[in-house]
Amino acid sequence: MNSPPVTPPDDLRSRVFDAIARDPVPTRTVGSRRRLAVVMRAAAVVALVWGAAMIHGPAARGRPVAYVIELDGLWLALAVVATWAGVARGRSMLGRPASWKVLVAGLTPVALLATWLPVALEWPQTLHDSSGPRAHLVCVLMTFAFAAGPLVAFARLRRASDPVSPRLTGAALGAAAGAWGAGAHALLCGYTSPVHIVLGHVLPVALLAALGVVIGDRVVALRAENVTSGVRC
Amino acid sequence: MHERALGLADALASGARGTSGRVQPRAEVDSAMERYAAGDDAAFATVYDVLAPRLYGYLLRQTKDRSRAEDLLQQTMLHIHRARIRFIPGAEVTPWAFAIARRLFLDGLRRGKREAYADEVDPDSGASDEPPADDVVQAHELALRIDRALAGLPESQRAAFRLIKQEGLSVAEAAQVLGTTVAAVKLRAHRAYEALRGAIGEPVMGAAEGSKP
Repeated sequence: MNSPPVTPPDDLRSRVFDAIARDPVPTRTVGSRRRLAVVMRAAAVVALVWGAAMIHGPAARGRPVAYVIELDGLWLALAVVATWAGVARGRSMLGRPASWKVLVAGLTPVALLATWLPVALEWPQTLHDSSGPRAHLVCVLMTFAFAAGPLVAFARLRRASDPVSPRLTGAALGAAAGAWGAGAHALLCGYTSPVHIVLGHVLPVALLAALGVVIGDRVVALRAENVTSGVRC
Repeated sequence: MHERALGLADALASGARGTSGRVQPRAEVDSAMERYAAGDDAAFATVYDVLAPRLYGYLLRQTKDRSRAEDLLQQTMLHIHRARIRFIPGAEVTPWAFAIARRLFLDGLRRGKREAYADEVDPDSGASDEPPADDVVQAHELALRIDRALAGLPESQRAAFRLIKQEGLSVAEAAQVLGTTVAAVKLRAHRAYEALRGAIGEPVMGAAEGSKP
């Protein structure tokens, strides 16, 4: 029983095509090249930071170097997976399903904790340290600081692009950025107790996912006024 | 107006299956958008010609205001144009376009630009082949009752019903537009259908039966 289509006025067609002519957009091939360049640059930065940290062994700060390599390798791998799952849109212009985004936002902190546990059990001496509330707070702030760059980049990439569930998209972006922040900061932080890992390293990832809800609403959501300013990459 | 009323009544009579005749050239618009993203500028005319009438009808039914519907349609088409650089090969265009139009409409509502739902501006009023007066009056009255009944439904149920029954989207496409699951959309459309049938009652069913060939 579909309602019959209603023919829009001819002058509207002219207005739309005039506006398009005034605002040319590059083709998808150009966009793909730009995105590839961004990914390559980001990968180079990660490799440089990782390599520098590994060369300068003291970054382990009393922890076994193998512990640092194993934990950080796992967390960076998680960050890559979270980025793929939370930032990429999959096969649809509407992005991934809402349930998928919820899983990314919710499971990323859990997965960080779950991958830390076997590593900690492998080196049980790391389960005890002298960290306190001040150390936890510093690590929360440091994780936020390391996650800021990826979060800005992800938000720019998905700016004004989600007409369906931008808040959930934002939460997934926040969790992915948080995973990068946690992975980067794990290279530097010398505290390894369960309480510190939970409060100083995993909690900020959950907080970033919550912050992502706000960013999704303000930045990722498709809005009438930012239709004209969507990012071109 | 009378066609819309009888069509809605027919929808109620046929149930909320969400599978009624969809003959829109979706493959054509998907292919055209694909070519446009690949660099064929002329393909956007096909995208516009296929999508614009459906989106305009949808937006007219939502806003009850021609100038607002035109504004939203223009913004929707511009957004589709600007997504050329990041268009995903093989992605479906129709649900995406409806989702954009719906978001822009809802965004406008949130900004206090709401057009009163009860404003009875008939989007089909430009039709020239008017049927006999009795039919028009009856259809008009029926349409008003259906509109009132629709207005009384929760937004989620109203949106699901409209996308499937009025705009001709499949249940899966409506689920994409609304950002929910197929099962949830089926449930919402069914509840809307039941609520409308309960609210409108037998006369509608009679009119629906009378409208069938």
